[in-house]
Amino acid sequence: MDAARRLPPDWHPGTIPDNVVADPTAHVGTSYSFTRFRSEEPGGLRIGRAASLGDLTILDVGPRGRVVIGDYALVNGALIICDSRVTIGDYALIGWDVVLMDTYRVPFDVALRRRALERVALGRPRRLAADVPAHPIRIERNVWIGFEACVLPGVSIGEDAVVGARSVVTEDVPPGAVVAGNPARVVRYRASA
Amino acid sequence: MHDTPLPSNVRLGPNSVITGDYLTRDRAFRLFRSRLDPGLVVGASCTMDGVMFNAGPEARIEIGDHCYFHEATLVSDLEIRIGCRVVIGWHATVIDADFHPSDAAARMADAVACSPLGGGAARQPFERRPVLIEDDVWIGPNATILKGVRIGARARVEPGAVVVSDVPPESRVLGNPARVVAER
Repeated sequence: MDAARRLPPDWHPGTIPDNVVADPTAHVGTSYSFTRFRSEEPGGLRIGRAASLGDLTILDVGPRGRVVIGDYALVNGALIICDSRVTIGDYALIGWDVVLMDTYRVPFDVALRRRALERVALGRPRRLAADVPAHPIRIERNVWIGFEACVLPGVSIGEDAVVGARSVVTEDVPPGAVVAGNPARVVRYRASA
Repeated sequence: MHDTPLPSNVRLGPNSVITGDYLTRDRAFRLFRSRLDPGLVVGASCTMDGVMFNAGPEARIEIGDHCYFHEATLVSDLEIRIGCRVVIGWHATVIDADFHPSDAAARMADAVACSPLGGGAARQPFERRPVLIEDDVWIGPNATILKGVRIGARARVEPGAVVVSDVPPESRVLGNPARVVAER
């Protein structure tokens, strides 16, 4: 990243927001990842030592959201929807098109949702935003999440766990567990755990 | 207000936008081949952000008012009807046809017909059934809605769910195949 917070080379004409704190050894693929990044928190995104943010990762982070990516973690093209806190531990591997969301972003009360949707068309850019609860997500150290899996609000995934491709994780995953399926279930525990 | 020129058989309601970003803005009509008029109707005050409208020659897609879709893919060979105030999340797919026959012999003939050596052979018939998504439905990211499904009003389809049968109004569905689950 240069003094103007650009990434040479970058196929997308954008900059890295001021409240992104990246270790000098971290790899950030493109400024495109920040087109939906609206965090106003100091350190809205922290990227650890030698961590990588792959090219098609999208950080859809609201004003109060904070994302932490640990040392040596590899986020290879995920969608991170964050209004409170998403924490990705050291050495975690996150596959492409994985969805990590700490909020549904819409009220489930129909009357409130109608009002939120009617407001969208009045704003520029048009974004669905509503005051709904967010529940932090924690991906612990050395977790491996397969491609296109979804992790729902409030879920914690314990150290060394493995989440199979396209799983939908609706509840906490114990350390060392291998989970798969939609909804995800424990299929076994790693022998070394 | 749109980045993409509209085909002549698309009706876009007042204050609606079909838009996208650096990567997605060109995808809206790249695979839109409907010959019906209209082939796509979008109501008022809708936001279609990075949506792909993939429509065959006989397909019609109708969308109500105040809908918000983010990088969803609609694949139609027949009919997709979506009500008002429907939200469809990132990388969700709604698809109303199989596009190939399920019978093994017919499918092999279809593979040949689709191939570079097909020589214009007729395609084999496949199953197509309309999809109906009623008012106030929420569909999460990475979800899939398959042919013939009706999703009742105010239902909630969780992220990654694969919906292969009707969803009752007001319910929450999850899983593959999607099943009704309790609120949480």
